[in-house]
This record gives sequence, C-alpha cells and structure tokens, in this order.
Amino acid sequence: MVYLALLLLFIVSYSFYYFGKNRALKIKFTGDQKLASLPDYYGYFLVLVVFLPSLIIWFILLLYKSNFQELYVMSPSLFPDIAQWSDAKFGLIMNKISNLALIVNIPEADLLKGQTSLLNMSSESELIAAKNLASFDNIYGWSIVIVFILLPVILGLSVSRLINQKLNVQPIVEKTIINIIRFSSIVAILVTFGIFFSLIFEAIKFFQYVNFADFFFNTAWNPNRAWVISSGETVDPEILKDAFGWVPLLTGTLLVGSVAMFVAIPLGLASAIYLAEYASSKVRDIAKPIIEILAGIPTVVYGFFAALTLAPMLKNFGDSIGIDISAESALAAGLAMGVMIIPFVSSLSDDVIRSVPNSLRDGSYALGATKSETIKKVVLPAALPGIMGSFLLAVSRAIGETMIVVMAASLRANLTFNPLEPATTITTQIVTALIGDVEFENPKTLVAFALGLSLFVMTLILNIIAITIVRKYREKYD
Amino acid sequence: MNRFLLTYKKGNLIMKKSIVSLFALVVSTLFAAESFARDQINIVGSSTVYPYGTVNAQRLGESGFKTPTYNPTGTGGGMKLFCAGVGVEHPDITGASRNMKSKEAKLCLENGVTNVIEVMWANDGITFSHSNTAEDFALTRNDIWKAMSAHVVVDGEVVENPYSSWNEIRDDLPDYKIEVLVAPPSSGTRDAFDGGVMEKGCELPEEMEDDCVLYREDGRIIEMGENDTLIAQKLNEDNQRFGYFGYSYLKDNGDKLKAASVEGVLPSGETIASYEYPMARPLFIYLKADHIGVVPGIQEFAQMMVSDEAIGDNGYLTKIGAAPMVPELISRVKNVTDNLDAMGFSIEACANKEHPLKDAGYAFSGKLCP
Amino acid sequence: MTNIKKRLSAERRFKFYGQLGVFLSLLFVTLLMLKIFTTGSGAFFRTTIEADVFFDPNFMQVDKNSSDKEISRASFEALADSVVNYNFKDLNEDQFIKVREMFTRRFDYQLRDYFLDNKDDYKKTVKLKITASSDLDQIVKGNYPRNVPEAQRKINDYQLSILDELNKQERIGSTFNFWFFTNGDSRDPETAGIWGAIMGSFYALMVCLAFAFPIGLFASVYLEEYTKPGKITDLIEVNINNLAAVPSIVFGLLGLGMLIGVFNMPFQVPLVGGLTLGFMTLPTIIIACRSSLRAVPPSIRHGALALGATKTQTTFHHVVPLALPGTLTGTIIGMAQALGETAPLLMVGMVAFVMEIPGGPLDPATGLPSQIYLWSESAERGFIEKTSAGIMLLLLFLIAMNLTAVLIRRKVEVKW
Repeated sequence: MVYLALLLLFIVSYSFYYFGKNRALKIKFTGDQKLASLPDYYGYFLVLVVFLPSLIIWFILLLYKSNFQELYVMSPSLFPDIAQWSDAKFGLIMNKISNLALIVNIPEADLLKGQTSLLNMSSESELIAAKNLASFDNIYGWSIVIVFILLPVILGLSVSRLINQKLNVQPIVEKTIINIIRFSSIVAILVTFGIFFSLIFEAIKFFQYVNFADFFFNTAWNPNRAWVISSGETVDPEILKDAFGWVPLLTGTLLVGSVAMFVAIPLGLASAIYLAEYASSKVRDIAKPIIEILAGIPTVVYGFFAALTLAPMLKNFGDSIGIDISAESALAAGLAMGVMIIPFVSSLSDDVIRSVPNSLRDGSYALGATKSETIKKVVLPAALPGIMGSFLLAVSRAIGETMIVVMAASLRANLTFNPLEPATTITTQIVTALIGDVEFENPKTLVAFALGLSLFVMTLILNIIAITIVRKYREKYD
Repeated sequence: MNRFLLTYKKGNLIMKKSIVSLFALVVSTLFAAESFARDQINIVGSSTVYPYGTVNAQRLGESGFKTPTYNPTGTGGGMKLFCAGVGVEHPDITGASRNMKSKEAKLCLENGVTNVIEVMWANDGITFSHSNTAEDFALTRNDIWKAMSAHVVVDGEVVENPYSSWNEIRDDLPDYKIEVLVAPPSSGTRDAFDGGVMEKGCELPEEMEDDCVLYREDGRIIEMGENDTLIAQKLNEDNQRFGYFGYSYLKDNGDKLKAASVEGVLPSGETIASYEYPMARPLFIYLKADHIGVVPGIQEFAQMMVSDEAIGDNGYLTKIGAAPMVPELISRVKNVTDNLDAMGFSIEACANKEHPLKDAGYAFSGKLCP
Repeated sequence: MTNIKKRLSAERRFKFYGQLGVFLSLLFVTLLMLKIFTTGSGAFFRTTIEADVFFDPNFMQVDKNSSDKEISRASFEALADSVVNYNFKDLNEDQFIKVREMFTRRFDYQLRDYFLDNKDDYKKTVKLKITASSDLDQIVKGNYPRNVPEAQRKINDYQLSILDELNKQERIGSTFNFWFFTNGDSRDPETAGIWGAIMGSFYALMVCLAFAFPIGLFASVYLEEYTKPGKITDLIEVNINNLAAVPSIVFGLLGLGMLIGVFNMPFQVPLVGGLTLGFMTLPTIIIACRSSLRAVPPSIRHGALALGATKTQTTFHHVVPLALPGTLTGTIIGMAQALGETAPLLMVGMVAFVMEIPGGPLDPATGLPSQIYLWSESAERGFIEKTSAGIMLLLLFLIAMNLTAVLIRRKVEVKW
C-alpha cells in the first residue's frame, strides 16, 4: 500500500515537471513577449508545488498514524477503566491490539501456534478493538493513496493555470532550494556540534567526581575501585582519587602507536616511493589497490590475528631466547596496527610524490643525478609537507584504533616504555567502560567521555599541526 | 574541450540517475516498516545463560512462535535494562547467572516493575580450568583465594599478596606461576565466583570482610572481556595460567581444557546437580508478568525451559552443560511456570533481602536476594 | 669512477628497499587473506550422510495428494526417526539416540522440503543426502581431534565406529552449504547462516545513506558555495574534520544516549543503528564533498555566471554535477567504513541472537560485523569456520564497494 502511494507520488510529480515545462514552452512559442523565466523552471515549480506539500502531509500522517489509531480504537466503551491505565499498560495493550489486528482476519486453519496463543489470551473487547483497527488501517491506507492522487493533481492543475508570461517563478524556485539546503546544513551542524557538546557535557559530569588534575596527572589506573560503589550509594572521593589516572593510558597509547609507526613508516614510505617513481603503471595499478585492501580489512580481523597468532609467536620466540615477552605485549598489538596503517602512509605519500611536478625531476637528471639521488634530494624534500601530513593522519588513526588493542593488548594499565610488557590504551579503556554494566551516573562509565574528550583534543591538535605544516610549507608550483 | 563537455554531461547524467534511484531505494526500504508493534520476545542478560536461552528460544521459534531475540549484556546490565520499566520498549525476560540483588529489586520497584516471576531453571558450575597439557591441580577454595586476593594473612598479619607461584601456597602444588584470567566486573559469573570462592575461601578478619572479594592488582589477575573463545585460546597457549568460566564452556572444549578439582571434587553433570561440587550455582530467568498476555510466548518459553525435554536426562539443555536441579525444586519451578505462581518471590520482599527459599537449607540459600 | 660505482650501487640499494617495502606489504595482505580463507572455506561445505529414505505411510501424516499447506504443517519427526531405524538395523535405545545425533537435529525439515517437491515418491525409497550434525561435520573436517580419550570428545566411540562404517560404504559426502547464505542465525552451527545479518546491515546502511548523503551533500554545497569564508565556517570545518577521527564507539554511545534515551526509539533495530552510523559517516561525506567542490575550478563558475546564470543555476547545473563523482566516491568509502564497524552496533543492541530475518528497518536485527563477533564468542567448534567465512563475506563486500569507488573515480575523474 505504501509503495503504491509512493510510486504514484513519484509518477505524478515527474509528469507535472513535463506538464509545466511544456505549458511554458507553449506560451513561449505562441506569445509575442518573452517568458519571465526559463521553461524548465516552470516544470520545477510545479514539481515543488505538488511534491513538497504532499510529502510533508505524508510524513505527518505516517508519524501520527499510531496516535490516530489509538484515538479510533481505544474507546472507553470497549475498555471502561481506560482512564486509570498507566502509560505502560496503555502501550502494552495497544501493542497487543496492533499484533492482533494483523491476525484477526486470518482463517483459523492458517494460524501459527504463536498467533493462536495470542488470540486465546485476548479478551472480547481486545478482539473487537483489533477488528476495528484492521479496518481502520485498511481505510487509512487507501485514503492516503486516493489523497495522493487527488491532492497533487488538484494542486498541480490549479497552480498551472497561474502560469503565464509574467509569472516569474525563478526566484521562488531558487529561494526554496536554497532554504532546503540551508536547512540541511543546519541539521549537519547541529549533529556535528551536538556530538561534540554531548562529549563535553558528560565529561564535565565526570570531572565532578574526579578532579581535573587528579585525572590528568595520576599514574594509577584502577577503575574497578569505582565498582565497589554501586548505584544509589554516594561515591567516596578519596577512593576515586587513585582510581582514574590518565598517564599510564597515554604512555600505553603512545607506546603502541610508536611500534605501529615503526612498522608503517618505513614500509609505507618505501612502497610509496617505489610505486610512484619506479614501478610501471601496470604494477602500480595492481599493487596499489591490493595494498589499500589492508586498510579495508575490519579491525576485528587484525585483533584476532594479533591476539591468536602474533602474540603467541612473539611469546614463544621470547621464551626461546630467554626474554620474557608478555602474552599481551604492546608489541603484538603495535605490529598488527602497523600493518593496518601501511596503506594510509603509502597511498597518501604516493599521491603527494606524484604531484611533485616533473620539471624538478628533469632539472635534477639534467644535472647528472641518479634516480635515487633525485628522489632523496629533490623529490622528497619537495613532497615533505604532504608526507608529514600523511604521517600525522596515520598517527591519529593509530591513536584512535580500538578493536585491535581491545583484543590483543592488556586491559591493565602499566606505566612503561617497554614494548615487551603489557600496556593498555585510551581507546581500550573507553570500550571497557562502555560494555557490560553501563551506569550513566557512575564515574566508572563517565570516564569514557573524559577519555573520549582527551582523544578528541589530541587528534584535534594533530590535525591542526598537519594543516599548518601543509599550508605553511607547501610550494605552489603553478 | 570535447572531452570536458563529455565529462560534464556524464556527470549530469550520473547525478540525475543516481539521485533518483538512490532516493527510491532508500525511501522504499524506510517505508517497509509496516508497524511499530512488537511480537517477538526480547531477552537480555547473562552471557552464561545465553547458550541455553538461545537454544530454548530457537525451539520456541520452531514450535510456531516468533523466535525470541537474546542480547547478551551480562547479568548486571540485563538487570538494569529489565528493571528500567514496564512497556513495549523494555525487555520481557532477563537471564541471570546469579540471583537478583536487593539493590536491583529496589530499582525495579522504583520504575514500576513490581510483578516479576523468578524461574530457577537449572544449575551450573563455575570451573577453575587450565590447559589439559598442564599437571593436574587439586585445590581448595582457600588456595584459590590465597592466589587471587589483594591481601592475605601471613603469620597472623594482613599483608599484600606476596605469592608468585602455586607451590608457595601449598608445598604439594606444582611450581607454576600464578596468573588467572578473570571476567569483567559486570559478569554474573564473576559475581558468583566472588560469592562462592572469594568470600568462602577468605581468611581476613571480620572488619575487613568487604575486602575479601578484591583481586590483587599486581598484574597476576588479567581481566579478559566476556569473550570465552579468547580465554580458552589463551589458556591453551600458556599452560600455567588458569581461568574460570561456566561448565558448558568446559564441555565444549574438552579436547583442550580441563578443570582443577575443588576440595576433591571435579565438576561434572552429577557433581554440580548434587552440589557436591562446591562452585555450583543456580541459574535464573526472570519474567515480567505484565508482559505475559501481550507478547505471545513468554509463559511457553519458561515452560519449555524447565520441561523434561530441556533439562531431563537427555534434555537438549542438559546436553550442552546444564545440570538439572533436585526433583523437589524441579516440581516447584514447574508449578511456577505452569500456574504463573511466584511462590513467595516478590520484588518488595527481595528489596528487603527476603526470599522464600532463604531458610530452606539449600547450598545456595545464603546468596538469595543479597 | 668508483664514485659512479658507489652511486650506482646506492641507486640499486635504494630501489631494492622500495621493492622490499611493496613486497612486504603485499606479503602481509596475502598472509592475512590466506589465514582467513583457510579457516573459513570449510563453512561453505557441509558434511552429508547418504541414507535410504523410505516414505513409509505408517510414519507420515500426509500422502501424495495432500496440499502444500498441509504438508508444510505436518510433522516429519516420526518419519525421521524411522529413517534412522531403516538404515541402521537393530539399534537399542541408547544406540538409537547416538546415531540420531549424528544427523542434523532437524533433518525432518529436509525430508519435508524434499517431499514438497517430490510427492510422487510417496511409498517409495530414495537415496537422500542428509546433512550431518555439526559435531560430526567438525570431526570429518578434522577440526576435532579423534585421538583423545572419549570423555574429552563430543563424538563418542560408538559414533566413531558408525562413522568409519559409513565411510567404508562411501556414504559420507559433502555438499555446498548454501544454507550459509539463506538462513538466519541458529544455535546449530550446521544450519547457521548469515542472511539475517546481511539484511540487518543492509537496512542499517540504507538508513545511514538516507540520512547522511542528502544532508551531507546539501550542507557541503551550502557551506562551500553560499557562505562567505570566515571564522565560523573555519570552526565548523575544523569540527567536522576532527569528528572523522573520533573512535566509532563514542558515536555508538551517543546513539544510545540520544536516540534511545531521549527520543525513546526501540532498542536493537536497524533504524537506530543506521542513524548512529549516519552520524559517523556524515563528516566523511561532508569532507569528500567539500574537497570535490573545491576541486572544481573557479573558471567553471565564472563562465556560467558570465552567461547570465544565477548562483543556484551555476551551482546545481554546473558545479555539483562535476563534484558528484568525488562525492560519490567519498560516500561509498564512508559506507564501507560504516559496514565494517562493530562498536556502534554493540551499543544500540544490534548484537543479539536473532533468528528471524528482519523485514524492515524496524525489526530486531543484527549486523554483519556483530554477527561475526557473536559467532567468535560461541563455544561450539563449528562456529569457528563460520566466523572466518563471515569475515570473508564482509571483506568481499568491502572490496567490492571500494573497487566501485575507485572505478567511478577513474571513469569520471577529470584532471584540471
């Protein structure tokens, strides 16, 4: 039913475009004066007139359908004590009647066990209400269809009479379009700033429990202390002082990130240089997308790989040469993350290197330099800002990565710079705080927002640095 | 110039085509939503109960009802969702691997969830397990507590836990380093473990009773997520490590893992059912009575879960690790599900830490509505 | 001349490093793919036991003249039991249970489906390949070891002897497991499929697209073409750029807090999951669209304006069509990212055991990545290969989407 109405609306609107345009064209070619606007503007005008109001009415009808249903069906004559029902009960009974409405008109032999069970659990009034609802829905559906043929047609035809030479629809159409896109951008801005403000709002709630300084400079991270306090009881600030220290998380994040960059930068840059400068276009066309696949592999896969393959391998290797490598080492997580980040470095650097104009290379060759010398001394320095930008992007990706570290790294904070030891990152703790028992009034959950905010700020700073470097040092070659 | 024109035209065409088809596709799927009414049972709660609840759900679905959905949020998380209120948007059933706490009952009371039926449907055992390539361990709960607690008593004094290997706790235990993988604090299994092992095996003086359940923080207790597969894998790789999880998990990985005996008893269907195994505990599902009669199948679900087909000797739940209860409890719970008789359990009572079976003398009686 | 030699060897070394870099990267891709492929390929096949099926009237409630509806309502369980007895004579009760367990639990469904298409086989005997249970399937595939003591196995000795017997009679076979693609989730690994998760992700992505694409496109056009550059627009741009780097779980939390908490939307449905993903993808689309709009040279705009076009005409007839390929590419890449994200789905509840295939964005559903996550947590051995197969499918979708984006980019890309 719904599809039918939608399809009709489309067809009607589409045809009115041509109707309006043709009408305008007719006027243009039979009249002796110029038309006020371009012909297809008349077409668009009619489309707007026909489509927009119908769409808005439709949305309203659909949104409030349940309200209309309730009005029609839930009458005191069927349910005498309806005034005393709680909201919950009302919702439940309405839900039941909606389900019943779908099955009351089906012959008994065709019913499934679940449906007969529902029928058996229903009172007479509920069944009557359901039958009423079923017929209401039917009428409602058909009337929408009819209205959506009649309304657009009436609107369209009557407005089209207004089309004459003098009618200047262009500003109307254009203003409407601008308002539509203005509205969208307001929505977009609201959403993006809304996300930002929610983060801050919840983080502020957290900072009411734990001091700013305590959070950012403390070196102990034991969020389980906040577990001993459950909802309803007041939180002892003394215990909390030592529970949420950000420093070990920061070092953990930096540690894992550094290991990752150690892998990604050499491999990524080397690949980029080779693909941009040395490889034939055939090799490049094949190798580049394949490497980009690395970025597309879901991070859970890397997580599994790191946890189940890399970590034991490293541990066994360590055991065999007498070094104690933890089974949740930062090294394992970092290596997996590094592999994932390779395409970020390589693709972006590759694009940047290729955008260095050939005139620089040609000049260098003309002076007798070899290819590698040209690259090392001419191309790379010219491309450096862009390459730095790609590094920074990769770093912010490494910092924000969640699943790999959740699966491979430790959940326990450890203030260390040794990659062979376990460590935890900011993102891991965000995940841990939000999965399982989520209590929005407890610092244990709220800390996730504070951590999220710190992450946000860190990536913001990185982004700004990246943009500034690129802007400041970029050479314009034109 | 020509190429440019062509591209421009192509772009225009692409725009028109893509916008129209995109719009049509998207809007049509959006409006595929016929109604907002819910006719599927919504279950949340324990991930220990999850394997059983979902098997039972599938069977309910096969018998003509819509298959219930089960969201494994953990016992604690499930209780919060369950007690958030009555209504279509709230879950109908929650699974729990421990009894409802009095605090949770209070929450239910505050939000108008006053008609709740408790169904204790089977027993489960928490196993203290490790790789089957390791030496056999015979432990007591006191040993386990000594290995895991933050503080222990040495020579009459309460100190930070100094033990680094099992043979320091008892000479006859192997010289394995102490490392235990544990569940997160939201896990019902952890709650049950804490109650059944940490509290029972505790040696701390009375005034420090609350600290019995604190785990040591020196890195020997490793918190894993709820991901049992990962835990099993990690136990496999390092055969000196231990982990604790429900018996069904041990059964499914019998080719890789084995359990330590606790006070002389190894976990098995029989020893758990008879509570001879010290770390046995009952499993529950809680039903929202107000939703029965509105969402079809809630009562049938509960009835199926305690039927002979499910928890009898060859029952489909028994087969995957559930240990049946003693006969009098089974007939009691059948009365609950067949007649929707709460048999003395109520939210008000539980909020006051009262439970009909509290004085009935069962091994688990002490831990009802704590 | 040694200087030249040195420089040339430095040249060779340098080139070698480059090749090494590419080679190692490709190696990693290959290794990961191989690992996933080898683990997951098993899921595409299921073990079958060939059995003689006698459609015995004594055990059937319907006959060859029954209507399709009657047949689909009838129970075939008695017939299933009779098939076991027919093929394995003289079993005592205990043995019967064990042999019955070697077949998939609901092979009565298979019998029913066969009978629906072949009513004429009533009272006849046919050879059918019945799906084996997951435990048997895993033993045959070698994922369960045979040489451990019986207590540690899920297949007992008696069943092993039957298996060997069947093997000798060459009645153990394997067939393509199309159930993986058509079924929803199940607790029996052999019948578990991914179609429900695919539909759930599909609806979620459609909602995401419906929300993020129009708003993203229009907002970018407005911000880029109709507003003057200034502090406010800079602030907006920085905010949007930064959001693209926020970990996805934060978006999930906001979906939980705002959509479910404030707007009271239902839990667990693709509508909410899709909107949350939409929040996440909006910045990506805006960034892609704005950079495409900026890449359109001012000469185009100037040309149109010079010919008397209004701003709106210039924008929508000239600039936007040229920016569209870049925008589409960015959208597709954003969609691909949204498809692979587990964390937002986790937070809005789209990670649960859902057997029914969702019919629309308001039915409870699970998504592709969260289904994979759930399977990875299941204890049954049979789910391990399903997890990897699910990952393979997810990768396939992602690669297809990324390839489409690249193709579009290449076809319609214009070098100014």
